Amino acid sequence: MTPLEIFALAVFIFTYALIISERIHRTVAAMAGGSLVLLANIVPWEKVPLYLDLDTILLLAGMMIIVNTTRLSGLFEYIAIKTAKLAKGEPIRVLLLFSVVTALISAFLDNVTTVLLLTPMLIYISRLMEVNPLPFLLSEIFASNIGGTATLIGDPPNIMIGSAAGLSFNEFLVNMGPIAFLDLILMVFVVYLAYRGTLKISPEKKERILRTLEGLDERAAIRDLPLFRKSIVTIVIVVLFFFVHDKLGIEPAVVALFGASLLLFWSRENPEGILEKVEWATLFFFGGLFLIVGSLVETGFIGQIAQWVTSHVHTEGEAMLVIAWFSALASAVIDNIPFTATMIPLIKAMETSLNTYPLWWALSLGACLGGNGTAIGASANVVVIGIAAREDIRITFMDFLKIGMLIMVLTVGAGVGILWLRYVWW
Amino acid sequence: MGLYSSFIGRKFKHIAGKKYEDIIKHYREFLLTEEERQIPEINSILMPLDRYVKNVPEEVYETISAYEARILLVYILDSQVFELVRQTLSPEASEEFRRKEEVMGEELLNNVAKKLESYGLKVQRRMFFGNKSDDVIRMAENYDMLAISKNYGSEITKTSPISPLVLKIIQHLEIPVIVY
Repeated sequence: MTPLEIFALAVFIFTYALIISERIHRTVAAMAGGSLVLLANIVPWEKVPLYLDLDTILLLAGMMIIVNTTRLSGLFEYIAIKTAKLAKGEPIRVLLLFSVVTALISAFLDNVTTVLLLTPMLIYISRLMEVNPLPFLLSEIFASNIGGTATLIGDPPNIMIGSAAGLSFNEFLVNMGPIAFLDLILMVFVVYLAYRGTLKISPEKKERILRTLEGLDERAAIRDLPLFRKSIVTIVIVVLFFFVHDKLGIEPAVVALFGASLLLFWSRENPEGILEKVEWATLFFFGGLFLIVGSLVETGFIGQIAQWVTSHVHTEGEAMLVIAWFSALASAVIDNIPFTATMIPLIKAMETSLNTYPLWWALSLGACLGGNGTAIGASANVVVIGIAAREDIRITFMDFLKIGMLIMVLTVGAGVGILWLRYVWW
Repeated sequence: MGLYSSFIGRKFKHIAGKKYEDIIKHYREFLLTEEERQIPEINSILMPLDRYVKNVPEEVYETISAYEARILLVYILDSQVFELVRQTLSPEASEEFRRKEEVMGEELLNNVAKKLESYGLKVQRRMFFGNKSDDVIRMAENYDMLAISKNYGSEITKTSPISPLVLKIIQHLEIPVIVY
């Protein structure tokens, strides 16, 4: 190994250690690592735009602007109350409906925002029903990670994979959509089986809950009716554009930025206020991370690992299995964003000896669904557990692990099975 | 476990920031509080009527009938108005005004009582001279609920969609109120 390779690897390992330990903010760790590899000129300045992956960063920025503007209208609270009323105070219906709604919203908007907005309502209903809130909160976490798997914009790893491999929104929907759908059914079934004893309430109590829920007015949640309507129209337009972006030859990032500009222009909201709420820390985290991984590519380290992997894996089927399960297990314990950032160049380097098309789906599957494995597997998990703790609801690491691992194994297993049928057996 | 909790707490802070506080604040504005969630036991309902209450909507009858409570319909003739008519016009004019007001009151009381009885409710009727707001506030102390028209005591306008009398009454009560 050359001194430069050793330095790049040391920066990579040290940054990852800082990200995992959370001793300092992960953005600061990534930015420091990124600037170090630039300072050492491992990544030449002229190659920075290449490694920075503006597709991913701008797509995230665009979607953040849309979500932050839409939030001001009260649309998400409206959906939460409407869902609560539809559930009619029946615990099983609450479990099912909130899982479906969470998965659907997470498929199109970011998971953290989705759970931040739906969890307060879920806690409110479970308190109203006087039942254990654990199955509802857990199913919400699982559903948000499963829903995010379904689309190109559902989860940051998918955005990164889509951008790196040039995969379209429709390709994601066709390949990952059916898997996410099947996994959602599986997940609800498993959570129901595991907690069915705590999901029962008396008819009298149900009647009382129903009356209270009927008393809630979803229209009261709408803070700005014109903005509410404009947000819905913009989201519909953006989603429609996502469906046809590959046919029009437009990048997903352009669609998101167009949607963001349209909503800002149409709503006349103060852009400074909205832009302040964009999670710049996350965007800089991505930027720094991409540069650190870029340094491993530049030094040839990634290429060597890819060679080693391809010499041990002989077929696409084998590679698919290895990538899916390795990604799932790794994402269960480490942040799936840096993990995906590392895996992308590795899979790209395998292009010379393997058909990597099915491997991207295996990576997406593992990186997104692996998050369900442990309490710290994905951002949505951490957020919901954090909210629960604030509301005096304790979800221990073991509480989560017992059912999370089972869900992870089942959903990844089902997904790998479908991919296997599609790309190997068929 | 303490280490795990602090780890989650730290990550949550980094990921969600102060967003959750804003969201939960907004939810509190429209979710029912613990106190509001308690369904009160309603055994008696006071229902004041007067010349400004033209009709009682069907939904009000349906809502009230759900409680199976005894109902007192009360028609208060404003004694101050009669005194003013007597002083400014004549005792005869005041008497004529009283007679017409009583006929109108009897008719309204009968109509509303009949309708409530058709829902199987026990209804009592009272008509007397008094103060429309003070007497309602005083009587309401012995009842579990008040059902009052937003027109009670005066006509309403676009800028004032609830009569000042109703506003005064509901500000003084601690029992649940239906304003129709």
